[in-house]
Amino acid sequence: MLLQILVNGILMGGLYALMAIGMSLIWGVMNIINIAHGSFIMLGAFTTYWLFAILGMDPFVSLAFSIALLFALGYGVQRYLINYVIRASAFITLILAFGIEIFINNAALVSWTADIRKVQVAYGAANFSLGNYVTIPTIRVVAFLLVIVISIAFFYILNRTNLGRSIRATSQDLDAARLVGVDVAKTYAITFGLGVGAAGAAGTLWSILFPISPIMGGELTLKSFVVVIIGGLGSMLGPIIGGLALGITEAFGTNWFGSTYGNLISFTILVLVLIIRPKGILGGAD
Amino acid sequence: MVILEGKNVTKRFAGLLAVSDIDFYLQDGEILGLIGPNGAGKTTLVNVIAGVYRPSEGEVFFKGKQISGKKPYQIGRMGISRTFQVVKPFPGMTVKENAAVGAMYGAGGKNKSAKEAIQRAEEILEFVGLADKMNKGADQLSVASRKRLEMAKALAMNPKLVLFDEVMAGLNFGEIDQAVELIKKIRESGMSILIIEHVMRAIKNVCDRVFVLHHGEKIADGTVEDVLNDETVIKAYLGRRYKELTH
Amino acid sequence: MEKKKLQYALIGGFILLIVVLFPLVSNNFIIRFGTDILMFAIMASAWNIIGGYTGYASFGNVVFFGIGGYITAILMEKAGMHFAVAYLAAGFGAALFAVLIGLPVLRLHGHYFAIATLGVAEAMKALVQNLEITEGNSGIYLPMLDLSIKGQYYFFFYMMLGTLILTLLLTYLVLNAKLGYSLIAIREDEDAANSVGINTTLSKTIAFALSGFFTGLAGSIYAYQQAFLKPGPAFSVQTTVKMIVMAVFGGMGKLFGPLIGAFSIEIISETLSNYFLVAHTLFFGTVVILAIVFTPKGLIDMITQRKFGISYFLENIREHRI
Repeated sequence: MLLQILVNGILMGGLYALMAIGMSLIWGVMNIINIAHGSFIMLGAFTTYWLFAILGMDPFVSLAFSIALLFALGYGVQRYLINYVIRASAFITLILAFGIEIFINNAALVSWTADIRKVQVAYGAANFSLGNYVTIPTIRVVAFLLVIVISIAFFYILNRTNLGRSIRATSQDLDAARLVGVDVAKTYAITFGLGVGAAGAAGTLWSILFPISPIMGGELTLKSFVVVIIGGLGSMLGPIIGGLALGITEAFGTNWFGSTYGNLISFTILVLVLIIRPKGILGGAD
Repeated sequence: MVILEGKNVTKRFAGLLAVSDIDFYLQDGEILGLIGPNGAGKTTLVNVIAGVYRPSEGEVFFKGKQISGKKPYQIGRMGISRTFQVVKPFPGMTVKENAAVGAMYGAGGKNKSAKEAIQRAEEILEFVGLADKMNKGADQLSVASRKRLEMAKALAMNPKLVLFDEVMAGLNFGEIDQAVELIKKIRESGMSILIIEHVMRAIKNVCDRVFVLHHGEKIADGTVEDVLNDETVIKAYLGRRYKELTH
Repeated sequence: MEKKKLQYALIGGFILLIVVLFPLVSNNFIIRFGTDILMFAIMASAWNIIGGYTGYASFGNVVFFGIGGYITAILMEKAGMHFAVAYLAAGFGAALFAVLIGLPVLRLHGHYFAIATLGVAEAMKALVQNLEITEGNSGIYLPMLDLSIKGQYYFFFYMMLGTLILTLLLTYLVLNAKLGYSLIAIREDEDAANSVGINTTLSKTIAFALSGFFTGLAGSIYAYQQAFLKPGPAFSVQTTVKMIVMAVFGGMGKLFGPLIGAFSIEIISETLSNYFLVAHTLFFGTVVILAIVFTPKGLIDMITQRKFGISYFLENIREHRI
């Protein structure tokens, strides 16, 4: 029983990690809190949904499309919108992101209505057992493995490529990066694109596991916040630690207190972590 | 009378010794110079006195009362004010409002209304020579004026002791001489001064006594004349060329 | 100088007179719309105290609104108290909550403060959803105001108006007192503020409590007006967003900025919803985006600088782009 809860928590935590990885990147590099992050996840989910509903495309195939589409969208939003206010106070970009969130959510509502939809794949209910106690849904394990693959890809891009070096240089000192020839505007756009692309991937996986609707974004943004804060900024491991921590505590918390307490638990953790360890559980003491 | 005294003051950052076991004192009405190469721990020491850092070991006394462990604002209200090496004006306020905030919350600020504080600010700005820029935004000042505003904010707090952290850096010779005159005037009005400075021309002109930090340790303490001729000091800080340049 | 002051006082008095007389010549729908504007003007102005003047962008101010509402509901429904008592208790209760939560949370800066306050509001919503005394997710009813329909509309309009005037008056007094200087000093440079002798913790906490107080009062009137309260709408993130957008759109850190913001945002979204039944929030999002890009300093900056038109917009973009 306890083991089953733990496994459920870990698997959920993997998805939380993927949700937060893009938000963490954007926040860490550009000091932008992307309030619209959950809305981008929603767009990723709907990309998969429509490709599945219209073309019958398998979600694990459409994953590539939703990443690509969301990357392009993120690139454009940063390049032609956020870059115009990036030097104003961080607070201004926060509100701009709010505006983008309202826009995306309502555009989705107008186009697709508030109906709750589901991607019904044939293998959706497949599962296997470990010993006699633990049942594991196959699709969640695959999703979890994908999370790891995508995290490693992110890590590779940031640490082993020229693009990654530009991104890190820009995040440390914008003017210095510009002086050594980095195209800052483009680097910012690519960074935002990568972050939003990861959100797209999270959306695809979310759509296989849960029902989706245009208004699901707000909740996901809040969850991503919690994960980023718990894990702390500035490390690729942060979102993974944060995601697992949230997934596991939520699993046990709702088991003990009932599912209506899920949000109370996550947000209480959020506030406590902020007060006690504002740099996240990985970060140094303040 | 000793107005400020530090005993065995030590400050460590994550194992790194920034200030190591230093004793110091400042007489009432004295101008004490604090010199040393960059990274010697001068600003750290000022931050310890001003309450930004709590000393890892040792104690600081002001007028016989222990102040180490108190918050910056408490120390400010007791009568110690300080300037910042990288000046910290309130950019969204006018020059006058900047100084007025000091008058409102410094020593004796409790009994001043906002109006009285603004009056006091005007007097101080007159005193430091910023009267003509009173209604300008603090973000529109030249380097020299910003340094003066930094001093005005500190003086408006009605202190007994001021800590000047490189208030002459970046000034030209003419401006330095004006600043030196100003510091002398400040002493005449009854304050004691601790001054951190790289500008030797200023140190020689205003300081009664100098003490030298090197790698967080005190390597000399005495009259300007003695310290500037001290072999250790010359080796560690001033360099051999100093003698050729100034004699 | 004196003459100018007199001019402003006359203009202000004139506008106030119009607002006071306005319900007498309007129908119920418009009075209700005016009441909504006033409510958001209170909340945006209250947000301005902590977010605009003190520089602490609270993303959870709706928590005070919800607390004010629920205190009113519980005191009136469960304890049978008079609205006047519940109204005051709502304000002071929200302020007390601001102090308790502010002491730990106001030690955080920037984004971290923003998210912590957001977390507090969301946690509070979840708590209220689970408590018995608040009747959880099914919502709580309040006694109805015993007046004619027209009388009810008047009552809530003038309660909101009175509370708004109280908010602005107290904010004005604070700004011209030492406290106001300390708040702006904290916004401009908190370390420097501390070193000139400002007890920054105390000042920030007072600002947060004031912000909570007025928001709580608005929540109290709102709850009585609705006669029914549910956790979802009472603690909605969207309400916080609206306060902030209004304050920024009008001009934060300016006394009348949020008021102008509330007025214009409400008018804009109401007009949009008249023309576009489904898509009006979509246009609302667009308005927010355009406003932030073109006028990040708010409408009041345009008005006081007397700068209008393309060149002002381009100037803003040039200043902030990379």
